[in-house]
Amino acid sequence: MKEYIETGRIKIDKSKHPELTTYHDPCNYARKSERTFGHGYYEEPRWIVQQCVDNYVDMYPNRANNYCCGAGGGAWAAPYAEERIYYGRVKAKQIKDTGAELLVAPCHNCRDQIMKSLRKEFDMMYLEVKYLWELVADSLVIEGVDDKEE
Amino acid sequence: MEPLVLSKREKRKLAGEYPDLCLTCGTCAGGCPVTGVDGMDMRKAVRMSLLGLDQELIDSRFPWICTICGRCEHGCPMNIDLNKMMRSARAHRERDKVPGVLHKGVVQCLESGNNVGIPKEDYLFLLEDLGVELAEELPGFEVPVDKKGAKILVTINSKEPFAEPEDMFFWWKIFYAARESWTTTSENWEGVNWGLFTGDDESMKEVVRRIVENYKKLECEYLLLPE
Repeated sequence: MKEYIETGRIKIDKSKHPELTTYHDPCNYARKSERTFGHGYYEEPRWIVQQCVDNYVDMYPNRANNYCCGAGGGAWAAPYAEERIYYGRVKAKQIKDTGAELLVAPCHNCRDQIMKSLRKEFDMMYLEVKYLWELVADSLVIEGVDDKEE
Repeated sequence: MEPLVLSKREKRKLAGEYPDLCLTCGTCAGGCPVTGVDGMDMRKAVRMSLLGLDQELIDSRFPWICTICGRCEHGCPMNIDLNKMMRSARAHRERDKVPGVLHKGVVQCLESGNNVGIPKEDYLFLLEDLGVELAEELPGFEVPVDKKGAKILVTINSKEPFAEPEDMFFWWKIFYAARESWTTTSENWEGVNWGLFTGDDESMKEVVRRIVENYKKLECEYLLLPE
C-alpha cells in the first residue's frame, strides 16, 4: 500500500479527513513483529496515515511502548468481557488524551475492541474508528470514476 | 510431606526458557493494565513458573485474560520470553476447557476451511453479489476467485463475509484504483488463525499449510493477510 502511494499508483485526497487523527500500534505489527522478524512496523503505517490526513497526533506512550487495546490474543472472542473492558480503560484514556476525533487501527481485533466496546464503555461515541485500509479507501481519487463526478 | 528428590522432580511444563533470570523487579506487572485481576500479575506468573506451580498457572484464568501483547516482555530488563510462557500455559489447557469459541473456531476451520463454517457455495454467491454491487460504483469491477498467476493472494477475515461483508470493499477499492492483479480463493481463504491464540501449533501449521498450498497452486507472488 505504501508502494502504491509512493509510486503514484493510487491518488489520495487529504481534504476528505480534516479531523485530528491518531494511530494505534497493534502488538502484532509493532512489538511482536520487531521481536520475531527483526522489524517493527511503526513508521510505515504512520507515513500512510499522514498521506491521508494533515492533522495528526501520536498517543503517549506509543510504538514499542504502546498499550494494548485490551482485546488481543483472542480476548475479543473469549468470555471475559468485564476483564477485557477493564483492560481497555488505559487505552481509552490514551485516546481521549490526544483529543483526536478519528482513530486509525490496522488490526481487526484492535478496531473491534475500540469501535464496538471502548467507545461505548468509556463515553467516546464522538470518536470515529477506521481500519488503515479503510482510511486509504475513503481517501482515494479514482481516475475515470471521480473525474466524471467532478 | 514427601521429601523432594531433586533428580526425580517433575520437569517444568511451561515453555519460556529464562524465568530463572527474573530479578523480581516487577517492571512487567507495573506496566500491565490487568495487574491485580484475580490477584494475579505477570511477576507472580513468572514466580509460579519458577517455583513449580506450572499447573496452577495453567488452570488459572490469567493466561487468557493476559492478551499476550508483549509490553511486559519489551520492558523486562532480563529480556525474559514472557509471551512464550503465557502461550505455553494456554497450550497446556485441555482443549475442551479452552475458554469461549476459540477452540471451536479452530476445529471448524480445520473441518470447513473457515472459522465460522461458511459453506463454499454461499461464500462464492456472496462474493459475486458484492462484486456486482461495487461495480455500480466502479465500472468493470469483479471479484477474482482462484485466478492463476495473480500477483497477490488475498485471504479474508471470516467475520467480514459473516457479519460485515461491505468492509471487504475497502481493499477491493484500493486494488481497483491501483489496477492491481489479485485473487482470493474458493477454499481455505480464512485469514485468521486462532491456533495462534489457543497455543495450538499443530492446527496453526495446518491452516498455514493450506494457504501456502493455494499460493503455490495459483503461482502468486505476494500474500496478503488481513489480521
